[in-house]
Amino acid sequence: MQKLINIFKKTDRIALALLVCSIGITIIMGVSHPKFLGKSNLQGMLIQIPEYGILAFGMMIAMIAGGIDLSLVGIANLSGIVAAVVMRNLNGTDFSIFPAILAALMVGCLCGLFNGWIIGYLEIPAMLVTLCGLQLYTGIALMITKGPAITGLPESFSNIANGTFAGIPIGALVFVLITLVLCYLLYATVYGKCVYLMGTNTIASRFSGINNLKITMLTYAISGIFGSLAGILMASHYNSAKSDYGTSYTLLTLLIAVLGGVNPNGGRGRVQGVVMSIILLQLVSSSFNILRVNAFVKTFAWGLILLLIMTATYLIERRQSRD
Amino acid sequence: MNNRIKNFLTTNEMIVVYIIIGLAILIGSVNPAFNSISTVVNLSRTMLVTLIFAMCEMIVIVSGGIDVSFPAIACLAMIATGNIMLKNHIDSVPVAFIMGALIGASLGTLNAVLIAIVKMPSLIATLGVSSMTSGATLAIFGAKIITNLPGKLDKLYKVSLFSYTNADGITYSLTILILIPILICLLGWLLLKFTMFGRGIHAVGGDIRAARIAGFNVKGILFFVYILSGTMAGIAGVTYMILMRAADPSVLMGSEMMVIAAVVMGGTRITGGHGTVIGTILGVTLIALVKNNLIMLGVPAHFQTFVVGLIMIIGTSITSLKAKHVANSVKV
Repeated sequence: MQKLINIFKKTDRIALALLVCSIGITIIMGVSHPKFLGKSNLQGMLIQIPEYGILAFGMMIAMIAGGIDLSLVGIANLSGIVAAVVMRNLNGTDFSIFPAILAALMVGCLCGLFNGWIIGYLEIPAMLVTLCGLQLYTGIALMITKGPAITGLPESFSNIANGTFAGIPIGALVFVLITLVLCYLLYATVYGKCVYLMGTNTIASRFSGINNLKITMLTYAISGIFGSLAGILMASHYNSAKSDYGTSYTLLTLLIAVLGGVNPNGGRGRVQGVVMSIILLQLVSSSFNILRVNAFVKTFAWGLILLLIMTATYLIERRQSRD
Repeated sequence: MNNRIKNFLTTNEMIVVYIIIGLAILIGSVNPAFNSISTVVNLSRTMLVTLIFAMCEMIVIVSGGIDVSFPAIACLAMIATGNIMLKNHIDSVPVAFIMGALIGASLGTLNAVLIAIVKMPSLIATLGVSSMTSGATLAIFGAKIITNLPGKLDKLYKVSLFSYTNADGITYSLTILILIPILICLLGWLLLKFTMFGRGIHAVGGDIRAARIAGFNVKGILFFVYILSGTMAGIAGVTYMILMRAADPSVLMGSEMMVIAAVVMGGTRITGGHGTVIGTILGVTLIALVKNNLIMLGVPAHFQTFVVGLIMIIGTSITSLKAKHVANSVKV
């Protein structure tokens, strides 16, 4: 019995609470609306999760490093557009998909490095830099497209997000892969330790011999690459690329990260918590769709949930510090 | 003496002035149509609402926070005021402004509670409030645009300070609404420069612990700042409604970047503690100039977002490099 309690105490409390909520929602919705557990709804959820789930990972890694990345949606759209342009210039053959994806990842990496350099070298707050970055990258995307969406992408490209492998959408498999890569990066490499230390205390990390500029640039480059991966998935899902897809994702990714137990001041946050909060929010979102709730109410609910979670964490922390 | 002149000529405000003059000469030489009074009138029209936003954003940034909820608050104030007035057949200008200000103040209070008491990071709190507000606005009032405003509000639009007719017979008139931002700027300047409370806002932005130890009522100051910001956003919403003669529930959304860009360009340090009213006015002028006249330079409209982003990056880099230079210089 004591052992059980110890195991319970050791597991991530936030992830556990989110898991309980998810199971609750699934049971309630599954009983009242059997469509909720139908194949089409489940597949729909698995197609949507990777898009903002990968963006949320980008936000999470930036927040652990003590910053924030608001430019992710801009990077995603820009890389989606670059991929589309490359594919169209190579006459839309199936072979053109690989150079297109490579180009998109390069763009994401470059955007992230630019963010990281300005944050780390010029020491401008990350929030402001990435806010500017969002404007800048969206602006470049607009310059390329001149407004309308780029369409006419090869059919096999749209299979990346919409196709299935053994009944599971390919995007979901990519998501699982990215989750494993992120776990490895954060928990098993020197880089991961450095990120957590830098997020907790920048000055301490500098004095312990960590090259803060390098870690910051790496962090935002990884975040940018995640952004471009999400951009490729979005472009593939809609089979077109445009400069203003997914504008609501900025708030959503922030909400996911905070809900998953990532501390906005940096240094704290675990992958399992974020994964659970991605799943929970997708369940809530799907339930809203099935219950035919107005889309604007959804926006309202996201904001409300974010504020409630933050308030609850504050109250719990205050009680703990009193004990 | 010489040193003082040199210092004055290299302040952030003066750098913005140089950029504005350079840009004006450039646009004027490329397109002679720029050199007319109509440019000034159009510019002041564009600046009007942005300036109110920029003033409240500047005060918030000086206090060490950031507010991204004002477009949503302004939209709610605008559409709610318009709807309530039409439904209850109220037709009065002061009532409209008071109603807008009250709506803004109540949402500002929510911001203040979350930031001062719950101690949330201001960006996250205001993002959350922004999302809630815009969601609620659209869910309650729908996406319909109101164009039949009450008579007196419509009449106020036509009152002008002076009007000017050019050679082609087109009349440009400077609306009386420009007095609102002027008044707000004046009050803001007096508050920040000459009252203990204004110095308190600077102190909280500079170092919140030092301010508390120095005896400032930190919570009170934060409450005041965010409620003020909300109130001004509400007033700005009503002003915008009168200026455009329509209430649109989502028209202002997304303008926060532009406003923050203007404030930062004006030399307000994003980390708090520094900021001037004159700089903010100049920053807003610069952004409005870019926004209005890029087309005159022959730059296509879809370059606008990129140019504004570039200006933001360069502007923040300049202020930060200057701050770094000051921090590294020899201290006496």
